[in-house]
Amino acid sequence: MSTDQLTATFAALADPTRRAILARLASGEASVTELAEPFDMSLPAVSKHLKVLERAGLIARSREAQWRPCQLDAAPLKNAAAWIERYRRFWTESFDRLDDYLHELKQKESKRGSKQRSK
Amino acid sequence: MAANSAASSPANSPSVPPFEPQGELVLTRTFDAPRDLVFKLWTDKNHLEKWWGPTGFTTTVHEMDVRPGGVWHYTMRGPDGNDYPFQGKYLEVVPPEKLVFLGTIHEGAGQQIWTEALFTDRNGKTHVRIHQVYSFESFATKGAPIGWSMQFDRLEKYLVAL
Repeated sequence: MSTDQLTATFAALADPTRRAILARLASGEASVTELAEPFDMSLPAVSKHLKVLERAGLIARSREAQWRPCQLDAAPLKNAAAWIERYRRFWTESFDRLDDYLHELKQKESKRGSKQRSK
Repeated sequence: MAANSAASSPANSPSVPPFEPQGELVLTRTFDAPRDLVFKLWTDKNHLEKWWGPTGFTTTVHEMDVRPGGVWHYTMRGPDGNDYPFQGKYLEVVPPEKLVFLGTIHEGAGQQIWTEALFTDRNGKTHVRIHQVYSFESFATKGAPIGWSMQFDRLEKYLVAL
Protein backbone atom coordinates (compact mmCIF):
# COMPACT_ATOMS: atom_id res chain seq x y z
CA MET A 1 0.00 0.00 0.00
CA SER A 2 1.30 3.46 -0.87
CA THR A 3 2.02 5.70 2.09
CA ASP A 4 1.28 8.76 -0.06
CA GLN A 5 -2.15 7.31 -0.61
CA LEU A 6 -2.58 7.03 3.14
CA THR A 7 -1.51 10.67 3.59
CA ALA A 8 -4.03 11.76 0.98
CA THR A 9 -6.75 9.76 2.69
CA PHE A 10 -6.09 11.25 6.10
CA ALA A 11 -5.77 14.76 4.71
CA ALA A 12 -9.11 14.32 2.97
CA LEU A 13 -10.72 13.02 6.16
CA ALA A 14 -9.37 15.89 8.25
CA ASP A 15 -12.25 18.15 7.17
CA PRO A 16 -15.75 17.94 8.72
CA THR A 17 -17.52 18.91 5.48
CA ARG A 18 -15.75 16.15 3.59
CA ARG A 19 -16.59 13.63 6.29
CA ALA A 20 -20.24 14.71 6.06
CA ILE A 21 -20.13 14.28 2.27
CA LEU A 22 -18.75 10.76 2.72
CA ALA A 23 -21.44 9.96 5.26
CA ARG A 24 -24.08 11.12 2.78
CA LEU A 25 -22.55 8.99 0.02
CA ALA A 26 -22.54 5.96 2.29
CA SER A 27 -26.30 5.83 1.77
CA GLY A 28 -26.05 5.98 -2.01
CA GLU A 29 -24.73 7.98 -4.95
CA ALA A 30 -25.63 11.64 -5.26
CA SER A 31 -25.12 14.59 -7.57
CA VAL A 32 -23.03 17.63 -6.66
CA THR A 33 -26.21 19.68 -6.23
CA GLU A 34 -27.65 17.10 -3.86
CA LEU A 35 -24.41 16.97 -1.90
CA ALA A 36 -24.29 20.75 -1.62
CA GLU A 37 -27.82 21.03 -0.23
CA PRO A 38 -27.13 20.51 3.51
CA PHE A 39 -24.20 22.96 3.48
CA ASP A 40 -24.19 26.72 3.41
CA MET A 41 -21.74 26.59 0.56
CA SER A 42 -21.45 27.49 -3.09
CA LEU A 43 -21.34 24.74 -5.68
CA PRO A 44 -17.71 25.55 -6.60
CA ALA A 45 -16.75 25.21 -2.92
CA VAL A 46 -18.40 21.81 -2.73
CA SER A 47 -16.74 20.84 -6.01
CA LYS A 48 -13.38 21.68 -4.43
CA HIS A 49 -14.07 19.29 -1.56
CA LEU A 50 -15.16 16.63 -4.03
CA LYS A 51 -11.91 17.03 -5.93
CA VAL A 52 -9.93 16.42 -2.73
CA LEU A 53 -12.00 13.32 -2.02
CA GLU A 54 -11.58 12.15 -5.60
CA ARG A 55 -7.79 12.59 -5.47
CA ALA A 56 -7.72 10.59 -2.25
CA GLY A 57 -9.61 7.88 -4.07
CA LEU A 58 -12.47 8.08 -1.60
CA ILE A 59 -15.08 8.84 -4.20
CA ALA A 60 -15.53 7.92 -7.81
CA ARG A 61 -17.39 10.02 -10.33
CA SER A 62 -19.04 8.44 -13.26
CA ARG A 63 -18.42 9.92 -16.66
CA GLU A 64 -22.07 10.45 -17.52
CA ALA A 65 -21.70 13.91 -18.95
CA GLN A 66 -24.11 16.27 -17.19
CA TRP A 67 -25.11 14.57 -14.01
CA ARG A 68 -21.83 12.97 -12.88
CA PRO A 69 -23.09 11.33 -9.67
CA CYS A 70 -20.52 10.67 -6.93
CA GLN A 71 -20.00 7.26 -5.38
CA LEU A 72 -18.19 6.27 -2.24
CA ASP A 73 -15.10 4.08 -2.58
CA ALA A 74 -14.36 2.54 0.80
CA ALA A 75 -10.98 0.91 0.05
CA PRO A 76 -8.74 3.85 1.11
CA LEU A 77 -10.87 4.28 4.24
CA LYS A 78 -10.12 0.69 5.10
CA ASN A 79 -6.37 1.31 4.78
CA ALA A 80 -6.57 4.37 7.01
CA ALA A 81 -8.60 2.46 9.56
CA ALA A 82 -6.09 -0.39 9.50
CA TRP A 83 -3.25 2.03 10.20
CA ILE A 84 -4.98 3.51 13.26
CA GLU A 85 -5.96 -0.02 14.24
CA ARG A 86 -2.31 -0.85 14.99
CA TYR A 87 -2.29 1.87 17.62
CA ARG A 88 -5.58 0.74 19.00
CA ARG A 89 -4.04 -2.70 19.33
CA PHE A 90 -0.98 -1.23 21.05
CA TRP A 91 -3.14 0.44 23.69
CA THR A 92 -5.68 -2.33 24.11
CA GLU A 93 -3.00 -4.95 24.70
CA SER A 94 -0.86 -2.65 26.85
CA PHE A 95 -3.93 -1.94 28.97
CA ASP A 96 -4.61 -5.67 29.30
CA ARG A 97 -1.05 -6.16 30.48
CA LEU A 98 -1.28 -3.21 32.86
CA ASP A 99 -4.45 -4.72 34.29
CA ASP A 100 -2.73 -8.10 34.81
CA TYR A 101 0.28 -6.42 36.35
CA LEU A 102 -1.92 -4.47 38.78
CA HIS A 103 -3.57 -7.73 39.84
CA GLU A 104 -0.15 -9.28 40.34
CA LEU A 105 0.97 -6.38 42.50
CA LYS A 106 -2.24 -6.53 44.52
CA GLN A 107 -1.75 -10.25 45.21
CA LYS A 108 1.84 -9.66 46.32
CA GLU A 109 0.60 -6.84 48.51
CA SER A 110 -2.09 -8.99 50.19
CA LYS A 111 0.40 -11.86 50.75
CA ARG A 112 2.81 -9.45 52.39
CA GLY A 113 -0.09 -8.06 54.42
CA SER A 114 -1.16 -11.50 55.72
CA LYS A 115 2.46 -12.39 56.56
CA GLN A 116 2.77 -9.22 58.61
CA ARG A 117 -0.50 -9.96 60.38
CA SER A 118 0.58 -13.53 61.22
CA LYS A 119 3.80 -12.30 62.82
CA MET B 1 -5.63 32.04 23.41
CA ALA B 2 -1.89 32.52 23.26
CA ALA B 3 -2.11 35.11 26.03
CA ASN B 4 -3.97 32.68 28.27
CA SER B 5 -1.50 29.85 27.87
CA ALA B 6 1.40 32.22 28.40
CA ALA B 7 -0.05 33.11 31.78
CA SER B 8 0.33 29.56 33.07
CA SER B 9 3.62 27.99 34.01
CA PRO B 10 5.79 27.74 30.88
CA ALA B 11 7.35 24.52 32.14
CA ASN B 12 4.01 22.77 32.42
CA SER B 13 1.63 24.69 30.21
CA PRO B 14 -1.21 22.80 28.50
CA SER B 15 0.16 21.52 25.25
CA VAL B 16 -1.34 20.73 21.90
CA PRO B 17 0.18 18.73 19.04
CA PRO B 18 2.89 20.85 17.36
CA PHE B 19 1.73 19.69 13.95
CA GLU B 20 -1.39 19.45 11.82
CA PRO B 21 -3.28 16.36 13.08
CA GLN B 22 -3.61 13.73 10.39
CA GLY B 23 -5.16 11.00 12.44
CA GLU B 24 -6.17 10.45 16.01
CA LEU B 25 -7.30 7.88 18.49
CA VAL B 26 -9.12 8.10 21.82
CA LEU B 27 -9.23 5.11 24.12
CA THR B 28 -10.36 4.71 27.72
CA ARG B 29 -10.08 2.00 30.34
CA THR B 30 -10.88 1.81 34.04
CA PHE B 31 -8.40 0.02 36.26
CA ASP B 32 -9.28 -1.44 39.63
CA ALA B 33 -6.45 0.30 41.46
CA PRO B 34 -5.86 3.65 43.13
CA ARG B 35 -4.74 6.52 40.92
CA ASP B 36 -1.39 7.02 42.65
CA LEU B 37 -0.44 3.43 41.88
CA VAL B 38 -1.57 3.54 38.24
CA PHE B 39 0.31 6.78 37.73
CA LYS B 40 3.41 5.25 39.31
CA LEU B 41 3.25 2.32 36.90
CA TRP B 42 3.35 4.81 34.05
CA THR B 43 6.22 6.85 35.38
CA ASP B 44 8.55 4.30 36.99
CA LYS B 45 10.92 2.63 34.53
CA ASN B 46 10.92 -0.79 36.23
CA HIS B 47 7.15 -0.90 36.40
CA LEU B 48 6.56 0.41 32.89
CA GLU B 49 8.79 -2.24 31.33
CA LYS B 50 6.52 -4.90 32.80
CA TRP B 51 3.45 -3.90 30.79
CA TRP B 52 4.26 -1.44 27.99
CA GLY B 53 3.60 -2.71 24.49
CA PRO B 54 1.33 -5.25 22.83
CA THR B 55 1.27 -8.94 23.72
CA GLY B 56 4.59 -10.62 23.01
CA PHE B 57 6.59 -7.38 23.01
CA THR B 58 9.32 -6.55 25.50
CA THR B 59 10.19 -2.97 26.29
CA THR B 60 13.59 -1.68 27.40
CA VAL B 61 13.69 1.85 28.74
CA HIS B 62 16.99 3.60 28.02
CA GLU B 63 16.13 6.95 29.49
CA MET B 64 13.10 8.18 31.35
CA ASP B 65 13.21 11.63 32.87
CA VAL B 66 9.62 12.19 33.90
CA ARG B 67 9.33 15.96 34.06
CA PRO B 68 8.38 18.62 31.51
CA GLY B 69 11.08 18.63 28.83
CA GLY B 70 12.55 15.38 30.13
CA VAL B 71 13.72 12.77 27.65
CA TRP B 72 11.99 9.44 27.19
CA HIS B 73 13.70 6.84 25.07
CA TYR B 74 12.79 3.18 24.87
CA THR B 75 12.89 0.26 22.48
CA MET B 76 10.15 -2.27 21.98
CA ARG B 77 11.19 -5.66 20.67
CA GLY B 78 8.55 -7.53 18.77
CA PRO B 79 7.95 -11.27 18.83
CA ASP B 80 9.61 -11.34 15.39
CA GLY B 81 12.82 -9.88 16.87
CA ASN B 82 12.38 -6.48 15.23
CA ASP B 83 13.18 -3.42 17.31
CA TYR B 84 10.88 -0.43 17.41
CA PRO B 85 12.60 2.53 19.04
CA PHE B 86 10.68 5.44 20.48
CA GLN B 87 12.42 8.75 20.99
CA GLY B 88 10.44 11.32 22.85
CA LYS B 89 10.07 13.85 25.60
CA TYR B 90 7.53 14.70 28.24
CA LEU B 91 5.62 17.93 27.66
CA GLU B 92 3.41 17.88 30.75
CA VAL B 93 3.74 15.96 33.98
CA VAL B 94 1.00 16.55 36.57
CA PRO B 95 1.05 13.75 39.18
CA PRO B 96 -1.15 11.81 39.48
CA GLU B 97 -3.53 13.11 36.85
CA LYS B 98 -1.87 13.92 33.57
CA LEU B 99 1.00 13.00 31.26
CA VAL B 100 1.60 14.50 27.84
CA PHE B 101 4.45 13.31 25.67
CA LEU B 102 5.64 13.80 22.14
CA GLY B 103 7.84 11.43 20.25
CA THR B 104 8.94 9.93 17.00
CA ILE B 105 8.56 6.25 16.35
CA HIS B 106 11.64 5.94 14.22
CA GLU B 107 15.13 7.29 14.73
CA GLY B 108 15.74 10.49 12.82
CA ALA B 109 13.00 12.25 10.92
CA GLY B 110 10.26 9.87 11.94
CA GLN B 111 6.61 10.38 12.19
CA GLN B 112 5.47 12.31 15.24
CA ILE B 113 2.99 11.12 17.80
CA TRP B 114 1.50 13.35 20.47
CA THR B 115 -0.04 11.54 23.41
CA GLU B 116 -2.10 12.76 26.34
CA ALA B 117 -2.91 10.37 29.18
CA LEU B 118 -5.48 11.54 31.73
CA PHE B 119 -5.93 9.72 35.03
CA THR B 120 -9.20 10.27 36.90
CA ASP B 121 -10.14 8.86 40.28
CA ARG B 122 -13.47 7.02 40.25
CA ASN B 123 -14.26 5.83 43.75
CA GLY B 124 -10.88 4.26 44.27
CA LYS B 125 -10.65 2.99 40.70
CA THR B 126 -8.72 4.80 38.02
CA HIS B 127 -10.15 5.87 34.71
CA VAL B 128 -7.45 6.35 32.06
CA ARG B 129 -8.10 8.26 28.86
CA ILE B 130 -5.58 8.15 26.04
CA HIS B 131 -5.72 10.74 23.30
CA GLN B 132 -3.17 10.16 20.59
CA VAL B 133 -2.63 12.38 17.56
CA TYR B 134 -0.50 11.39 14.58
CA SER B 135 1.44 13.41 12.04
CA PHE B 136 2.17 11.88 8.72
CA GLU B 137 5.20 13.96 7.84
CA SER B 138 7.41 11.04 7.04
CA PHE B 139 4.62 9.46 5.06
CA ALA B 140 4.53 12.41 2.72
CA THR B 141 8.30 12.73 2.33
CA LYS B 142 9.35 9.10 2.26
CA GLY B 143 7.90 6.31 0.22
CA ALA B 144 9.52 3.78 2.50
CA PRO B 145 7.52 1.27 4.51
CA ILE B 146 6.50 2.35 7.98
CA GLY B 147 9.33 1.76 10.43
CA TRP B 148 7.29 1.12 13.53
CA SER B 149 4.76 -1.38 12.49
CA MET B 150 3.37 -4.68 13.45
CA GLN B 151 1.19 -6.90 11.38
CA PHE B 152 1.35 -4.35 8.59
CA ASP B 153 5.03 -4.91 7.88
CA ARG B 154 4.48 -8.62 7.97
CA LEU B 155 1.59 -8.30 5.58
CA GLU B 156 3.77 -6.26 3.27
CA LYS B 157 6.56 -8.83 3.35
CA TYR B 158 4.04 -11.53 2.71
CA LEU B 159 2.67 -9.67 -0.28
CA VAL B 160 6.17 -9.14 -1.70
CA ALA B 161 6.97 -12.84 -1.26
CA LEU B 162 3.81 -13.97 -3.05
